[in-house]
Amino acid sequence: MKAGKSAGRSRAEEPAGRTSPFDGSFFILGCIATGAALGVACAEGPVRVLEIALSYLGFLALLSPKVLCGFFIAASVPILIPREALTRWVGGESGARGLVVACLAGALVPGGPSMIFPLAAGFRAAGASLAVLITFVTAWSLYGINRTVIWEMSFLYIDFVLLRVLICLPLPLLAGWFVARVTR
Amino acid sequence: MNIVIGTVVLMALAAWAWQRLETPVDREVAFEATRRMVFLNGPRLVVALISAGLFAELLPDESVRAYLGDTSGMTGVLLGAVLGIVTPGGAFVSFALAAGATQAGASASALVAYISAWSLFALTKVITEELAFLGVRFILLRVVFTFPLPLIAGAVALVF
Repeated sequence: MKAGKSAGRSRAEEPAGRTSPFDGSFFILGCIATGAALGVACAEGPVRVLEIALSYLGFLALLSPKVLCGFFIAASVPILIPREALTRWVGGESGARGLVVACLAGALVPGGPSMIFPLAAGFRAAGASLAVLITFVTAWSLYGINRTVIWEMSFLYIDFVLLRVLICLPLPLLAGWFVARVTR
Repeated sequence: MNIVIGTVVLMALAAWAWQRLETPVDREVAFEATRRMVFLNGPRLVVALISAGLFAELLPDESVRAYLGDTSGMTGVLLGAVLGIVTPGGAFVSFALAAGATQAGASASALVAYISAWSLFALTKVITEELAFLGVRFILLRVVFTFPLPLIAGAVALVF
């Protein structure tokens, strides 16, 4: 347990891809935002742009405790569950059990694409089958806990979110089962 | 109300993580990583959320009702899936647009297809993140095997 934790700690200290908040994708986002602001300003006047900006800043303030908790959880998981252990767990399983484990991992491992895709690459290196990888990425995409709880539930009605998650629940397993059949 | 529920759930999970971290060193490492995430994502979050609000405002209500509304059926589902793939930006952009579309009268089935397609195949995410780590071959195989899923989800939602 102790050895596992120190391994997890060294992982957590690794730089996570981006090193500056103001990179190329931020620039693109800025251009998109400027375009949208100009659009609204032309259609409804600059005052409306200000109104929307302020109301969404207020919304962000409302969301911030949730977002901070989400960040903290995402930061803690690599320490609590070392990547090596998770990789052994998902990469080492096969058959129906492997698909279920991959689906659970995709749903429950917190973090955005910059965390999930390297993790999936690690699973692949550890010997996970294509079916397991597709199940994992599909489950994370469709109902990864971070996005569903932090973002989707913030913007959309809970009955809609529950309906969507319920409908999507079996889909990663379905896809994985299909892949396993075809690639066997 | 949703925000309260989500906040309580996440606070409980964060408290649990804090409890499980046990040592002050581990907690400090987790805090450092958290600060880093805030630093890297904070500015982007602010700009993205505001632009999401602006986009939702720009949505043409009448077209949304006509093409994605309750009478749009499977066509709405298909259109929702296509729009999901090409929506740029992070989760907040697509969800804010979905919320705007709900107000404008889009059907639940079209939105299920939209969000599922965005989650699975959003081009910005696939190109900027997945390509680097998993490669073209994996992406192609994943698309081949999972492209019907948003349509299946939307079609099932039509039944409700």
